[in-house]
Amino acid sequence: MKNKILYYLVYSQYWIITWMKIIPFILRHGLYDTVRDLRRYPWLWIMLKVNRLLGKFGKGRSLRYQQAVSILVSGIVSGVTDMLGNIFFKPDRLIIHEDMVPPEIFKAMGLSTFMAELNGIMLPMIEPHAMEQYIDESENMGIPPDICSLPKSTMGLFLKGQTPPAKAMVTSNLPCDAGMNSYALIEQKLKLPTFRLDIPYHFKDERALNYFTGELRRMITWLEENTPGKMDWNLLRQICEERNRMVELEMELWDLARIRPAPIAGEAIWLAHMWFFNLFPGTRQATNIFRKILDLGKQNLAQGISAVKNERFRALLWNPPLTHFIDLFNWAEHAYGVSLIMDSMTFNRLPFIDTASEESMLQGLALNIMNGPMARHTRGPAENYMDDIFYIHKQFDLDMLWVAGHIGCKNTQALNGILREKCREAGLPLLIIDYDLSDPRIVPREGIINQIDHFMENIMKTKRLDQKTKAA
Amino acid sequence: MPSSNGRYYAGCDVGSTTGKAVILDENKIVSSAIIPAEIDPEQTARSVLSKACEKISGLMGTNDFSYLVGTGYGRNEVPFANDNVSEISCHALGVHFCDPTIKTIVDIGGQDVKGISLNDDGSILEFAMNDKCAAGTGRFLEMMSKIFRMDLEAFSSLSLEAKNAIPVTSQCSVFAETEVISLLSKRKPPSEIAAGIQASVAKRSFTLLKRVGIRPKITVTGGCSKNKGLLVALQKRLRMDITPLPVDPQLMGALGAAIMARRKAGSITQLTINR
Repeated sequence: MKNKILYYLVYSQYWIITWMKIIPFILRHGLYDTVRDLRRYPWLWIMLKVNRLLGKFGKGRSLRYQQAVSILVSGIVSGVTDMLGNIFFKPDRLIIHEDMVPPEIFKAMGLSTFMAELNGIMLPMIEPHAMEQYIDESENMGIPPDICSLPKSTMGLFLKGQTPPAKAMVTSNLPCDAGMNSYALIEQKLKLPTFRLDIPYHFKDERALNYFTGELRRMITWLEENTPGKMDWNLLRQICEERNRMVELEMELWDLARIRPAPIAGEAIWLAHMWFFNLFPGTRQATNIFRKILDLGKQNLAQGISAVKNERFRALLWNPPLTHFIDLFNWAEHAYGVSLIMDSMTFNRLPFIDTASEESMLQGLALNIMNGPMARHTRGPAENYMDDIFYIHKQFDLDMLWVAGHIGCKNTQALNGILREKCREAGLPLLIIDYDLSDPRIVPREGIINQIDHFMENIMKTKRLDQKTKAA
Repeated sequence: MPSSNGRYYAGCDVGSTTGKAVILDENKIVSSAIIPAEIDPEQTARSVLSKACEKISGLMGTNDFSYLVGTGYGRNEVPFANDNVSEISCHALGVHFCDPTIKTIVDIGGQDVKGISLNDDGSILEFAMNDKCAAGTGRFLEMMSKIFRMDLEAFSSLSLEAKNAIPVTSQCSVFAETEVISLLSKRKPPSEIAAGIQASVAKRSFTLLKRVGIRPKITVTGGCSKNKGLLVALQKRLRMDITPLPVDPQLMGALGAAIMARRKAGSITQLTINR
């Protein structure tokens, strides 16, 4: 009873906090314009339901764990309102960009940004079926149904004309052929000046690093010619330094997660990274959120409290998270005592940026992109994929590997065959969850649970904690 | 034949097409039964257990078992079972009991196919399953036999007469049906079409098995293990022999469940295979 009251108190507190961010935005935008834009961009209705994440992430969790994920949700809401503010209040500086290009540079140039893949990632978290209409739109226009549903979602959004008008577009040749090719269609549809970053294949090579750093310089020049943005190197330094502070805090967070049982886990680690490092790196607000999450973890550690009440297994999640079953790990914690400790999108081997000079900053950003999650995993030799997995397995004292086996990802599907053999050799229990990243019609929530149940019962030899077994 | 101490342990495998039951006493298998599945899984379980009980004097029904474990897709619908266990674990347990040298199992049932890889101690190393598509399952073969106006047993032997196999290329069972009808209307030899059908099922099983790793010895369980033509096609595709089991391979799930029931009831006596 006490736990329930505390849950609702925290829930209500952050429910109010998030609305206190949304309402001033609506008032600033004006009621008329808000209604007009809700009609123009129907996905805004789903974003307005963002508080659902408080329940999905918070329900049933211990107090500080709930607080940590609630702080994260409030940070997500701030980020979304900032992004919408950019779209609506600074449209003359708006650029559309792909998810694997460095947003730090755009911010240092005083540009507003709309990350094209954001809707395909965020909307299914709030409403699992949100992207189906966009996927269908793409397929109806002739896009092959067997490509990744994230680019299909993104293309559908543009094909439906539900994206804000922008000055320019920046994309790259990452992370996969489908993602790269989707921008050819978007460019054709929007008829926008478009810059494509060419990220070399041999990214561990110094020549490749110099080439890509040159590409970033070329991008800056191009943006200065095609948008009102001007490069402010001092601002870039501040952003990179703030980003480095965020990295330091994240490293401490990882140290906490290494402890068994972990005082902090789940979304407080992976979603915090995915959101703030990809969308809002180098902002004071993002750093503060990491600091608050870290403090809560430290308090748990000091009192000997684990994030997951009954941590029986520690898992590594590989590939992007299951967006339309975003509470998977809240479910898994209660069903099996599975604690998600680390994931492929979070772990980065080269996170710091040297701010000594313009060149060193660009090199640091280049290294981050070239060696970033997904980039190094789905391109280059299979060792990039395997080495990370087995390194993390050891470093974080993990019991099992869950691979989000997105059927649209041809690159990882091919790698998973090798991974199966490697896991067998290493004795690491492996679950490959068959599903589709953005489309729950392919494998619904129940189908995913069914696969996990089979794995946990047959391989991990454990039964569900949340279902009573029959008395003998 | 009554048990020496009156204790019986049962396993009940409620599948999509058939219900299977195995009853053990302290030392051996004392009874088993296989019946076609009824609409209600609970009724299937009751009927098959009753049939198995009929063979043992003094055993009246489900209340007389010391322990009963349910398995199969309908396992959650057997309210009188003491426990239920996944069919993957049960097949592994049953097969390991019958032949501890077996490392790979392909379970081809009525509506799904499973590939299971075993450790030396019989624990499951890995498994893969196809439960989304009817192609490559018993249901598919049943459908095909109807096109040939044959019962399953006759159809399963038909391909053995063939000198060649006519490839059936459609992955989907619905399209395969159209393809087979078309081949028959072109007066292609039925035995060669049947060989093509068996080869297509074998290929699907092989693809699934590759996911878990194919290591000898390998065996086939489930209802389709009785399909002679399929076994030949599978051996050809695998390029290795399929190891026969000393107990009806269709009973492996129920046998594994019965062994699990014995363990859960704390029985420690040596169980032997009565051949």
